[in-house]
Amino acid sequence: MSKGLKLTDILVTIVISVGFGILYKIWGPLYYAVKPLGIHMDQLIYGMWFMTATVAFLIIRKPGVAFLAEVAASSGEFLMGSEFGLEVLFYGIIQGLFAELLLMAFRYKRYDLLVVSVAGLSSCLGSLLLDFYKGYIGDLSTWNLILYVAFRFIGTILFTGVLAISIVNSLEATGVTNLVRSSSKKDFDTLNQ
Amino acid sequence: MNTPIKESWLHKVNPALKLLILAILFVFAVTIHQLNVMIPFTLTVSILFFLCTGQPYRNLFLILIPFFLVFFSTSLSMILFGKGDTTLFKWGIIHVTEESLYRGVHLGFRALVFALMGITFVLTTKPVKLFYSLMQQLKLQPKYAYSFMAAIRLIPIMFEEFKTIRDAQKVRGLHSEKGVWSKLKRIKALPIPLLSQSIRRAFRIAVAMEAKRFNSLQERTFYYQVGFSTYDLLFISYIVSSIGLSYWLASEFPLFPVTDVRY
Repeated sequence: MSKGLKLTDILVTIVISVGFGILYKIWGPLYYAVKPLGIHMDQLIYGMWFMTATVAFLIIRKPGVAFLAEVAASSGEFLMGSEFGLEVLFYGIIQGLFAELLLMAFRYKRYDLLVVSVAGLSSCLGSLLLDFYKGYIGDLSTWNLILYVAFRFIGTILFTGVLAISIVNSLEATGVTNLVRSSSKKDFDTLNQ
Repeated sequence: MNTPIKESWLHKVNPALKLLILAILFVFAVTIHQLNVMIPFTLTVSILFFLCTGQPYRNLFLILIPFFLVFFSTSLSMILFGKGDTTLFKWGIIHVTEESLYRGVHLGFRALVFALMGITFVLTTKPVKLFYSLMQQLKLQPKYAYSFMAAIRLIPIMFEEFKTIRDAQKVRGLHSEKGVWSKLKRIKALPIPLLSQSIRRAFRIAVAMEAKRFNSLQERTFYYQVGFSTYDLLFISYIVSSIGLSYWLASEFPLFPVTDVRY
């Protein structure tokens, strides 16, 4: 086993992420269309932006994939001319880093709903940190700020946790995940029989 | 997006340098807390957008439409729900104060300037040149850069597949069903085939690329050589003087009586 990601892992991660990048380009206007409703309904769909990291990690299951995926998706969104401009890159880097750190804390050994949801929440925390400096969210009325954070947390669990797991489960049924995952001990055991 | 009609000097600026400077500008723009600085700064960036992207004005205005949506929706929630003391308007949970109004408008300009900087970069930079520049100037590992370029080439194929699935749905009569549920059902049938086909294709391409030694860490030679020129100096001096000008205008001709929009 060589250290780091192989070209196959990188390319597959980036292709998945660029796909998500296209989706994010559509998600941006949707987000801004929901936003003027005012009571932060938009935050419920914010979780979509953390999803690339967990989906890519669940598919490839290697260290570094979550970070690369989030950065690649944000670059893709940026290069397609996102309404958010350069800030997507910064958010992507921070969100990817936070998700990666959490997955690292579990030593990249667990692929269940709990871990990916917590990884998503970690990205969410990163994005809130940036919002605090960039969007002055600390200057919202307190009840409004609580609503903002709560909606974003709920959306995060729905998208990065529940939806990501269900997508990857369906992908496993198609068999493509076997292409990109490294061979497990079980595979070697079957060979030895 | 990338259909440059005529190339300006901004197209010739080194892409990695342009990206770095815009990144620094992003951090700088987050530290601007004065509306009086933000507005002239936005104007200097929009000069680049209007005069140097080489797009016809019709395209530029089409691009601007969503940006104004971003401007209004970003400022609105801060205007309506932000903290402040001098009440201008109060109705139910909505509480507009002078402070929150200025802060909201400031946030709107901030979102607008980020959007303008981003789109100006995208319209004046070819992705291939950007990744070559990142490899040559910032020493990005070739396996990452070439993977990105390959992935960008795969986007049209993804769109083709998306159309194929939609056509198949039409043939099977899914589009004649009305209502939100049938629409959701149609959307639900998209991600799995699109993702699985993309992964298969990416895997095949990656195997071919590994066979061609794209994985290797040895020194590579490049088909495109991206270097520096005097246009880089021009770009840096434009940015520096626009920042200077914004601060000068803010102190000499303040538009609004507020200095800091934070509460």
